[in-house]
Amino acid sequence: MKELFPAKQVLGFAFSLVLTVIALAVYFLDMSFQTGMTILLVTAFVQAGVQLTVFMHAGETDDKGAIYLNVYYGLIIALVTIFGTLLAMVWDM
Amino acid sequence: MKIDHSLPLEYSTDQNQYNILGFWIFLGAEIMLFATLFATYFTLANRTGSGPSGAEIFEITPVLIETLLLLTSSFTIGLGIHAMRLGNKKAMLSFFSITLLLGLAFLGVEIYEFIHYVHVGAGIQTSAFTSILLTTLGTHGAHVTLGLFWGLFIILQVKKRGLTPQTANKSFIFSLYWHFLDVVWIFIFSFIYLKGMM
Repeated sequence: MKELFPAKQVLGFAFSLVLTVIALAVYFLDMSFQTGMTILLVTAFVQAGVQLTVFMHAGETDDKGAIYLNVYYGLIIALVTIFGTLLAMVWDM
Repeated sequence: MKIDHSLPLEYSTDQNQYNILGFWIFLGAEIMLFATLFATYFTLANRTGSGPSGAEIFEITPVLIETLLLLTSSFTIGLGIHAMRLGNKKAMLSFFSITLLLGLAFLGVEIYEFIHYVHVGAGIQTSAFTSILLTTLGTHGAHVTLGLFWGLFIILQVKKRGLTPQTANKSFIFSLYWHFLDVVWIFIFSFIYLKGMM
């Protein structure tokens, strides 16, 4: 039974729960918009990284270079899309 | 077909390796798809017209339940793939079934949430904010729904054919999809719900 619950994945799950609780602080505690967004950005991206490396086995095989290149490419396009839109439509720059 | 026994079953043939890489490229495109939805959401989040704002309609309890359900399901499917690599078909199928049940529960809570929104006057046509909110949540929910059927067929196939390089490969690719849905939910949870209720 024990071999079915590898320590790496159990710890990854526990860490995800901790990150979720930290993110909840922005709801339960009073803080400025800047502080709240900083906390959310950190917890969300760290948690995405945990999923990628612990659960999706992204860095474990010979094709890890191609996998990471592709994920970073998707991420860059995503960030350019989102921040480009924010710049033009919300921040009026 | 050359089978390399030094690698996990799902990686054991050239075809399998290309399938996995190909699916990662699909996930890259999915990241961009959800980015366009988030970009639109951030633009329209304050355009509430005569409808309610996010802070008025979001409830922390269902959102938290949804988050825990999806997070746990992502963990159990990871355990399923681990069991598959150990060659333990029975444990693998149990973990996959638990994953799908958690996914189904997630979908149930999300449907409750949508009904609640319509009841409080936040339907998809109410305002720019509600239409992009429901489009973004709905796109994620549609992915989960598709995943439920996909996962069910994977379970049936593994049951029927056993663990072969092909079925292991399909199961692994399905697990990538499911983890990806959890990643998208983390961003919805953080930047739609928590940001909206802050």
